[in-house]
Amino acid sequence: MDIREPMETPSPASPSRFLIVTLGGRYLALDAESICGLLTFEEAGNDKDPMIHGIMYGAINLADRLSLPNDRGGANTRIVLLSKREMRGSVRVTTVEGLLELSLSQVLPLPMQFRGPERHWYQGMILFAKSIALVLNATWVLNEEGSG
Amino acid sequence: MLRAGHKYQRETTHQSWPLLVFSVGGRRLAVKTVDVSGISLWNESIPVAGRTSFVTGLVRHGQTVLSVFDLAAFLRLTVQGSSPLCLRVKHPFGEMAICIDEEIPILHTFDPATIQPYQNKDLPAEGSYTNGLDEIPILSVSRLGSTV
Repeated sequence: MDIREPMETPSPASPSRFLIVTLGGRYLALDAESICGLLTFEEAGNDKDPMIHGIMYGAINLADRLSLPNDRGGANTRIVLLSKREMRGSVRVTTVEGLLELSLSQVLPLPMQFRGPERHWYQGMILFAKSIALVLNATWVLNEEGSG
Repeated sequence: MLRAGHKYQRETTHQSWPLLVFSVGGRRLAVKTVDVSGISLWNESIPVAGRTSFVTGLVRHGQTVLSVFDLAAFLRLTVQGSSPLCLRVKHPFGEMAICIDEEIPILHTFDPATIQPYQNKDLPAEGSYTNGLDEIPILSVSRLGSTV
């Protein structure tokens, strides 16, 4: 894992990094600040809750929470370890497309016509390839009780 | 990507009300042209998991991302044709895309005196006009997606 520099208040021009993944045929983006590691399916112990350095990252079924098809585990399946404040968890993704660095101003807001709880699920969207990657709110992902 | 209706070919007056007549699932609907920002071929939409009724996804047009209002599902119809069109409308929360039938929309100009109240409650309408035996509702764009 990288050694992180002290947190500063990000300005719209300051760069942020996002891990772009696919799940259920959609592009999703995760703020790199909330990512603790990437494991293969085998390294994670298949469907179990991954345990790294004595810390458990409970498995979260992101596909179910987003009503996406549950892709079968393949050679490109990865387990993303997440943490935010005191919360930890892991999500299975179909592929990892890569890390993208861009300024916060390049993260577009979700259109206002989306008026339901999904406004809390997504932090915005990123133009990626010829498509769009929705930026997941790691706090929502990790907070299963408040799934709303 | 428009056809002019014969009424439009007459001399227009300041009292005229220009409407765009289009169809969804074979059903004729109208919208005021001032509420329309464009018509183009339909790009495949990117579904977005959420709970806002009938706001089901996003479409990307270059650097612009629009939310999609699924008018066909709202009307319990299916868009007709293998090359559907994208009707871009000016919603108060920002531009929005609606997938419509491939039949080329028609421009008509009406005398506002011929516009009558729309009695049905199946869609938000600003009124309607009669075309033979058909009552054509005039879609109220600002009220689309007003219920979650």
